[in-house]
Amino acid sequence: MNKEVIVEKINYFLVDEFEVEEEEIAPQANLKETLELDSLDFVDLVVAIEANFGVKLVGEDFLKVITLQDFYDLIEKKIG
Amino acid sequence: MEEKKAPTKYALVTGGSRGIGSAVCVQLAKDTKYHILINYNSNEAAAQKTLKEVESVGGAGEIIQFDVVNAAEVISKLDAWHVEHKDAIIEVIVNNAGITKDGLFMWMKPEDWTNVINTSLNGFFNVTNHLIQKMLVNRYGRIINMVSVSGLKGTPGQTNYSAAKGAVIAATKALAQEVAKRNITVNAVAPGFIRTDMTGDLDEKELKKLIPANRFGEAEEVAHIVSFLASEKSSYITGEVININGGIYS
Repeated sequence: MNKEVIVEKINYFLVDEFEVEEEEIAPQANLKETLELDSLDFVDLVVAIEANFGVKLVGEDFLKVITLQDFYDLIEKKIG
Repeated sequence: MEEKKAPTKYALVTGGSRGIGSAVCVQLAKDTKYHILINYNSNEAAAQKTLKEVESVGGAGEIIQFDVVNAAEVISKLDAWHVEHKDAIIEVIVNNAGITKDGLFMWMKPEDWTNVINTSLNGFFNVTNHLIQKMLVNRYGRIINMVSVSGLKGTPGQTNYSAAKGAVIAATKALAQEVAKRNITVNAVAPGFIRTDMTGDLDEKELKKLIPANRFGEAEEVAHIVSFLASEKSSYITGEVININGGIYS
């Protein structure tokens, strides 16, 4: 799966399932703030990623994720 | 478009084959629509007997073997169960599995300390930790931890059991605050002297003099409060320890 497809898929479920406004989505946007996530909400993100990409994220995976770009990179790396 | 099938809702009771656990299974079957998932470790015959009782009161359920102490086994058995039950949701967890290895602290063997802690405290962790993600996603759940008067006041001869149950009480309060926002309640039930196999060796005649109610409790009496906490009616109660002990301590 190439990077463009990954980004497209993530952006799609952010809008569709997390009710993020399309214009808010930008690589440098802060993931937590953009999605208005509290710590428990990460479980929804984990589930969405598993459903869309078949990989399971754990808490430590998010330690270095600040921006949406970091998030795209993390998923790309996880998919390998 | 094909209508999505409503999930079958389950209540898992660890150590559900005997004593209070068995009474809880039957009471949940009487009071709720939950299918009862009866966990047992070694006594399959007792688990089957509980299942028959569940069915005899009009409930449905099944038995599942795993040792709550063994984290890998808990995960593999519950995962396999979920694969077989794609439309099932475990909405209620009753962490009831527990053992006692009583003795004076000065003579207590390390394994008697560890085994008791492993079953009550680590058993709570192994089962609840594995299932809570699904509860969080589902945005609803009831977690009920069976503790003991020993975990509140301490009981001589039960330093290990008191420590294990006290730790579960603290975990109950912490977890309750973590997950409350998602409509998941976490409570503990602390029985005193209840007439079961576990208290079978105790001198009831002597001990009941210490109990204001002047008798041991029945497992069914404990099961009623568990059933209430497992229901939607208890939605604003969380992080609590409910004593049920005939007035011996509160």
